Amino acid sequence: MKKIASFLIVILLIPVLLRAEQNYLEVIAQGSKQLPLAIAPAISLGGGQDGEIAGTVGEVLKFDLTLAGPFSVISGTSGAGQSGIRPGEFDMAPWRAIGAAYLIKSGYIASGGTITVEFRLYDVARGKALAAKRYTGSRKEMRRMAHSFSDETMLAVTGEKGPFTGRIAFVSRASGNKEISVMDYDGHNVQRLTRNRSINLNPDISPDAGQIIFTSYKRGNPDLYRTPISGGSVARISSRIGMNFTGAWSPDGNKIALSMSKDGNPEIYKIGTDGKLLARLTKNDAIDISPSWSPDGSKIAFVSDRLGSPQIFIMNADGSGVHRLTRSGTYNVNPSWSPKGDRILYSRLHPGGFQIHSISPDGSDDTQLTTQGRNENPRWSPDGRFITFGSNRGGKEAIYVMRADGSSQIKVSRSGGGDSQPVWSSRR
Amino acid sequence: MIRVAVKESQLTRMLVFSLLLHVTMFVVIGRFGYFMLSHQPATQAYYVDVVNLPVANPQSGNPSPSIENAPAKQAPIRQEMSRPASDTASTVSPKAAPSVKKEQMPAETNEEFAKRLAALEKKAEGRRLGEALDDLRRRSADAGRAGMPGAKGKEAGSDYGSYIQSRLRDAFNSTIAYQSRNPEVVIKLRINRFGKVIGYRMERSSRDKLFEAAVARAIDIAEEHFPPPPAGGDFEQGFIFRPEGVGKK
Repeated sequence: MKKIASFLIVILLIPVLLRAEQNYLEVIAQGSKQLPLAIAPAISLGGGQDGEIAGTVGEVLKFDLTLAGPFSVISGTSGAGQSGIRPGEFDMAPWRAIGAAYLIKSGYIASGGTITVEFRLYDVARGKALAAKRYTGSRKEMRRMAHSFSDETMLAVTGEKGPFTGRIAFVSRASGNKEISVMDYDGHNVQRLTRNRSINLNPDISPDAGQIIFTSYKRGNPDLYRTPISGGSVARISSRIGMNFTGAWSPDGNKIALSMSKDGNPEIYKIGTDGKLLARLTKNDAIDISPSWSPDGSKIAFVSDRLGSPQIFIMNADGSGVHRLTRSGTYNVNPSWSPKGDRILYSRLHPGGFQIHSISPDGSDDTQLTTQGRNENPRWSPDGRFITFGSNRGGKEAIYVMRADGSSQIKVSRSGGGDSQPVWSSRR
Repeated sequence: MIRVAVKESQLTRMLVFSLLLHVTMFVVIGRFGYFMLSHQPATQAYYVDVVNLPVANPQSGNPSPSIENAPAKQAPIRQEMSRPASDTASTVSPKAAPSVKKEQMPAETNEEFAKRLAALEKKAEGRRLGEALDDLRRRSADAGRAGMPGAKGKEAGSDYGSYIQSRLRDAFNSTIAYQSRNPEVVIKLRINRFGKVIGYRMERSSRDKLFEAAVARAIDIAEEHFPPPPAGGDFEQGFIFRPEGVGKK
C-alpha cells in the first residue's frame, strides 16, 4: 500500500512541478562580453600638475586591466576637463555616452618626495561608487599604488582580487651568470637577489611572499638556499651530497618538497624550512624531480621517468597512491598545480620544442596553450587567472605572461634576454 | 474453490487499483487541467494583429497608417459617383436637346462632377480612416496595451511576459560576461503599474559576481523599454538567465 501511495503522490506532484518550471522564462545570450572600462586621466587634487604621476598611474591601470580579461579598456579623454573624482563632483553622462560600463577616476597630491594618490571605481550605468582607495608613499611606490587599485577593481567587479601586486622571481643572465632576480609582474622594478657569479636555479617563493628558496652551485655542489624576497642574508637549507634542487614550498609554508640524489638517484623528499629531513616520498631506480603541491597540501605532482620517458605523476603528500597523470606526449616536465586546484600546467616536448599544456588533475581536458617558439617552466599567478612562463619566441629567452586560457600572451621582462624560470608571488 | 477465491481476490485488488489509478488521473486532469490543452488557463493576450490592420506595416509595427497606404483607395466610392449633376437633363428628349446645349452641358457637368467627385472621395477617405482608427482604439481598449507597437516583427511578443523576456534578451546580449563554467541565475522580477522595476529577488545564485552583475545591468538597460503592464497592477515573472550552450540543471 505504501508503494501505491508513493506512486500516487508522485503522479499528483508531477504536473505541479512541471507547471512551476514552465512559469520561468529563459533569457539566453551568446558568449562572454568584455566590459567597457574607461580610465580617466589622473588629475591634481591640490598643488601643481605632475605629468609623471598622471602618466604612470594611467599606464599601469591600463596594462593591468587590459590583461585582466573581463574588461575592454576605453582609451579616451571624455570628461577629461572635469575637476573632481568624488561622487557629485563630475558628470557621469560623457562616460555613459561613450558606452563605459565602469569608470576609474584618480587624483593625486604631490608634496616633496611624498605622493598621495586616490582612486575611485564607478559603475557608470548606476552612477554608483564601487571602490575607493587612497595611498600615500614615496614616488617609487607609484606603480605599486596603481597595481594595488587594479587588484581592488578586480575584487569589486569579479569578487576576487587581482594578482597585480605580486612579484615575479626569475633566473636572470643579465650579469653573464645565472642569478636570481625579482621584478614587478609587469617587468618593472627589477632587483637582483644573488650576486655569487655562479649558477642559481629553480626559485620558488614562500606562500607569504616573504622568502625565496633556490638551488645554487656557489659552493660547487647544487645546494638549496633561502633568502628574503626583499634581499638580505642567504641561508643554506640543504647541502646533502649530490643534488638538492627543484624545491617547492608547501601551501602552509612549513615544509619544502625537493629532489635530492643523496641516496643515489634523484628522489623526492620532504624537509622542514630549517632543512631537517622529514620524509622520503619516492623510492625507485628512476629520476623523480620537480614536485608541485596541490593547494590543500594533500597531493604532490612530480616528474618521473619510471616508465621510460619523463611523465607527470601525482602522489599523496606522504608518498602513497602514485599514479600517472599525463598519457600523451613522450616528454612531459615542469608541473605546476593551480591555486584553485582544478588544473595542472606542464611543458611537453613537441617536434619544434617545449610547449605549455594545461590538464585537469584527473587527466582529462589536456589543452595546449602555446605554439610559438619554445615555452617552458609555467607557473600560476596567485589567483590562478594568469600564467607566467619562459619563452624564446622573440629570439632571446624572456618572461611572458598570459591568461589561464592561453589568451593575451605578452612579454613582460625588459632585459636584453636570458630571463627564465619565473615564479609569481602572492600579493604584497 | 480456494484457487477460484484467490483468483477473485487478485482480480478485486487489480480492479481496486485500476479504479484508484483512474480516479487519480481524473483528479489530476480535473484539478490541474494540465493534460488538457483547452483547460489551460489562457494567458492573457495583449496584442494587436498588426498584419490585419488595414494600413499598418507589420515590420515597423507602426499603428498609425499613412494616407498613401490607406485601403480607401482600394475601395472606390460608387453611389455618389453614379449621380452626376446633369441628371436633370436626362428628362429632356435627346431630339429636343439643342446642339449648343449639348456643347455647354458636358463642360459644366465635367467641372462640377470633378469637384464633387474630389469632395466625395476626400469625405469617404476621411470616414474610412476614422473608422480604421476607431477600430484600432477599440481594440486597444479591449486588449489593454496595444501589442508593444515599438517592437519589430519577430521580437514582439504576444503577451507582456514574453515582451519583457524579449527586451531582457536584447539587453543581456550586450552585457553578458561570466567567469565560471556554467553560470545560471534565477530571478523573480517585479514591475510596477508604470513599467518600472520595483525590484527582483534572486532565487538561485550563480556565485559568479561577474555574471550576476551582467544580469543586473541587463535589467537596468531593458527597464527603459518596459511599458506598463496591461492589467494595470504590478507584474511579477520568473526569469532564468544563462549563457547559450549551458543546459538546464
